[in-house]
Amino acid sequence: MRFLIEKFGKINISVLFLCIIFLILELIGHRHGETSLEDILFFPAIFGFLSCIIIFGIAISLRLLLMKDEDYYDE
Amino acid sequence: MIIGALLIPFLPHIIRQIYMLVLILISAYALTLGFGTHTKITLMDIEFILFQSDPLTLPFAIIFHVAAVLNVMYGAHVKHWNQHMAIMSYSGAAIAAVHAGDLLTLFVWWEATAITSVFLILAGKTKRAYGAAFRYLIFQIGSGMFLLAGAILLMSENGNAEFKNFDINSLYGQLIFIAFGIKAAFPLLNGWLQDSYPEASEIGTVALSSFTTKLAVFCFAKSFAGTEILILIGAIMTFYPMFFAIIENDLRRVLTYCLNSQLGFMIVAIGIGTELAINGAVAHAIVHILYKGLLFMGMGAVLYRTGTCKASELGGLFKYMPITAICTIIGAVSLSAFPLFSGFVSKTLILSSLGKEGLVFFYFMLLFSSAGVLIYSGIRVPFFAFFANKSNIESKEAPLNMIITMISASILCILIGVLPSYFYNFLPYQIHYQPYDFSHIVGQMQLLVFSALAFIFLWHFKIYPSEINSTILNSDWIFRKMIPGVCLPLLDLVNKLNQKLYKFLEYLFERTRNIFANTMIKNKVFDREVGQDTLIIVQLFIILLVFIFVWKIYL
Repeated sequence: MRFLIEKFGKINISVLFLCIIFLILELIGHRHGETSLEDILFFPAIFGFLSCIIIFGIAISLRLLLMKDEDYYDE
Repeated sequence: MIIGALLIPFLPHIIRQIYMLVLILISAYALTLGFGTHTKITLMDIEFILFQSDPLTLPFAIIFHVAAVLNVMYGAHVKHWNQHMAIMSYSGAAIAAVHAGDLLTLFVWWEATAITSVFLILAGKTKRAYGAAFRYLIFQIGSGMFLLAGAILLMSENGNAEFKNFDINSLYGQLIFIAFGIKAAFPLLNGWLQDSYPEASEIGTVALSSFTTKLAVFCFAKSFAGTEILILIGAIMTFYPMFFAIIENDLRRVLTYCLNSQLGFMIVAIGIGTELAINGAVAHAIVHILYKGLLFMGMGAVLYRTGTCKASELGGLFKYMPITAICTIIGAVSLSAFPLFSGFVSKTLILSSLGKEGLVFFYFMLLFSSAGVLIYSGIRVPFFAFFANKSNIESKEAPLNMIITMISASILCILIGVLPSYFYNFLPYQIHYQPYDFSHIVGQMQLLVFSALAFIFLWHFKIYPSEINSTILNSDWIFRKMIPGVCLPLLDLVNKLNQKLYKFLEYLFERTRNIFANTMIKNKVFDREVGQDTLIIVQLFIILLVFIFVWKIYL
């Protein structure tokens, strides 16, 4: 555990810990969503993680298109 | 409040602050008058309903008063009167607009919010701020013109311009829709928002974020509840500003993208139009004013102390400004809709109403945005300002008045999150909704902690894009670069063509005159040399005859 904290930092490990807790909680209780698709096991977790990766992917590619010099409008 | 604001320049600093709070208190008395039409005047046979109140106006009026108090407290360190006067009259105009009972009265206050608030952008006192203020004014006044046109059309059809539910299929409805849409920063009409808000002064941005866009949300809720196109527009609004927010460097501009995205949630809810959804939209507008105000306050404090809000230049400020950092984190956590914080109790209302209506596609779009908001704003803003250890900026804690305001706003955010049932009592419709059940909490927490995990994953493996000083192009590019870029060369071309045509005509004129004169003299039409003037008159007369001849034959 100490090794993990040293390697990844306290906050990162606590987030990981929270992730595991909420996955376990889903196994204990019965979670149901607003739509039937959401009732799939661990759906919000997978959806949240993938959404963020996709958003980053799109944002980074948009950067090539939309990023200009800071004084772009001042010229 | 607006009339009272006229006195502000003449009062000394401390008395001015107390006077402003008293003004808001007097204005708040109107909240106790109950529902119905209270003040009407008739001018030139037109009836102006100046003050009317109903279940929808009340929550907006309450939160606008709360926001006005927070703004006065937050700006108490500024000794000059100009911004105080602007904030007071701006809040007054927004509150008056909410209570307007007809479109002409609304138009007056609509423009008043634009004119009073532009001084807050000018208070940024940079060349960019002056430019942004000018563009802001063009958009706001333009929106007012659409509103006025709609109101006049409505009057010509109905005989009155009552502010009520409008039909989107009518021309006046469409004009009013565009007017509200500009102020609500619809896609492609949103450029003014990201352009102007971050250029305002540190207290100006906080005030701006509270009123203008929420006034538009109120107007949509009142006039276009249940209009289906709003669901699509709102969903697009929640969606696309995320990508801009991630790559934007100025943290206040990141917050304006985030504001735009959250407005989308409200617009979707208004588009659904059920009681649950309208409650969701109103609830989200209220909590959004508080937590977004709080985030802007945090960034305003950073700007005030360090002189910059750029992610590439900030970092490690937590040790200097711990209270500001904690308050900003509370704002960020509320924004991300963590359970026990204000965002959660309003966002679940909207998501539930979408789920209940079976709008699955839009539901997932909004869920996608809910996951994204944590990383592009919830984590990013506090992280780059207060934690990412890379800047050597030294600072001190924000002024006392800012701290007190931020703590007050934080307490409100937490109270709403912890006691949702009391909060729901202020909403337009009485509902029995329980946001805190096992499914909501576990589902939302999974969504959020795994989004956070994604951020950590990207940061740890250095995939996260580094912060670079840059300008990210937004829809205002169309108005600032594309249209001038296309129109100016076109105008130039037209100008050149015009000159060439003129020269050609001149040559033609000269030539025909010479031929004409020679023929006349040769055939001895005139006995003597005739003057130029006579020739020109004869020539014009012939041209006129030809013209009439052609006209008669062909037309």
